[in-house]
Amino acid sequence: MAAVPGFGQAVSPSSAAGPTPSVSQPAPDTVRPVPSRVVEGGRRFVVVLDAAHGGDDGGAQLADSTAEKTLTLALSVRLRSLLGARGFQVTTTREGNVSVDANTRAQIANHANAAACLSLHASETGSGVHIFVSSLGPTEPTRFLAWKTAQSAFVTRSLKLASTVNSALEHTTVAGGTSTSGADTGPIPATLARTSLLGVDSMACPAIAVEMAPIRDANRKVVTEVTDPDYQTQLVESLAAAVLEWRTDVEAEYRPASSGAGKTP
Amino acid sequence: MIPRYQKVLFFVLLLVSVAMAVLLVRLREKAHERLLKGEDLAPTTAPVVAPAESAMLLVANDLDGTLLQEQESLPLPQDPEARGRALLSKLLEIYGAPDSTHPIPLVARAVQQVFLLPVPEAAEKTRSGEAPRGGQLAVVNLSGSFADGHPAGIETETLTVLSICGTLHANLPQISEVRFLVDGKPRATLAGHADLTRTYLTTEAVSEPQASTAGATP
Ligand SMILES: [Zn+2]
Repeated sequence: MAAVPGFGQAVSPSSAAGPTPSVSQPAPDTVRPVPSRVVEGGRRFVVVLDAAHGGDDGGAQLADSTAEKTLTLALSVRLRSLLGARGFQVTTTREGNVSVDANTRAQIANHANAAACLSLHASETGSGVHIFVSSLGPTEPTRFLAWKTAQSAFVTRSLKLASTVNSALEHTTVAGGTSTSGADTGPIPATLARTSLLGVDSMACPAIAVEMAPIRDANRKVVTEVTDPDYQTQLVESLAAAVLEWRTDVEAEYRPASSGAGKTP
Repeated sequence: MIPRYQKVLFFVLLLVSVAMAVLLVRLREKAHERLLKGEDLAPTTAPVVAPAESAMLLVANDLDGTLLQEQESLPLPQDPEARGRALLSKLLEIYGAPDSTHPIPLVARAVQQVFLLPVPEAAEKTRSGEAPRGGQLAVVNLSGSFADGHPAGIETETLTVLSICGTLHANLPQISEVRFLVDGKPRATLAGHADLTRTYLTTEAVSEPQASTAGATP
């Protein structure tokens, strides 16, 4: 999207809306936005992990005849336990090899009042980690959002979340990573872009899609496969670190200046 | 006794119907031949009668997720719809080449048609409010075998969509919106990811050159 207007338009946790402003029924036409995603004090900071594909939908075919659906579930399970250990409340869109349609995934995220949603994908094309934010143009949050474009009210915050993940990936070290010093290890290469994904576009919360791809050299030769255990570990650990950072940022934003911003438990 | 004139009439009619049957079979064969010949002549490259022109293609690079402008010389028909199809066929031919920066298996007649329609004025606004109204909507009909053979992934599918939109706009600037069909029918996604149910604005491809610009530091 061309211009990304000011980022400071965060929704203030107003008291205008009712106590449980969430989408409950599978009536995907409108979605009520969540006015206060963060409960003051950070007690209910819910992270939604969306392991893409599943069931009949295998997703991409990866190295070592691994299906994308299998890898995304494995990443989701590992990330959930990492986040759980750090005291986060985590909701997942699937726990096994089952089909979940795009609307249901968005309903789960919206129902959970998520402070962040990470949709996890894997692919054989490209290099490194691709971070995606919805290509919907930013809009002001309103009382009711159109289901198909609910994400538009959160795009600005999703861009910040993407940027936080991008920064976290800079602190990783993997074989074939982008090293400036000529070493054969370095940070996981990451790209940040916009796309339109069914599901993510309907999420009324900061949401990004993270696509793990093999790490390639300049000649497009694969150096590190997506099935590489070290690569996977580095990725989930940096995602967990990013979510931790994200909570600190969000809490600092919502906390009154007096009460010492940016505390992490 | 059957009168003689009736016998004559009978044989004349018989002769005529046999002749008509023969003619019909011949015409059918001819039509079939013409159809097959048409299939052969139609494909990826534009008719040789069209003079070669220089065109700007937006070629995707999977490695860094960017679209690169590439100048190509190719025969381009005058008719805008045929022109659009020739441009996209060239683009997909580049993707099918062995050293492609955005590999997609090459299939015959991957771009079946490109239709140009006036942008529907009254249509509800789809995405990103500040859409340029007016201009033309390009409907790109892709073949099912192309979509089925397309690699699955958010990045690769998004780049295909954007490079098609960008290439159309770069050469036919009147095109402001693009919609996709696969085998003449709407399809949910290209290969499991990129949303094909929506209308794409060609400005998205222009402003996309991704990686560095999309980020916003908190
Ligand atoms: Zn996927």
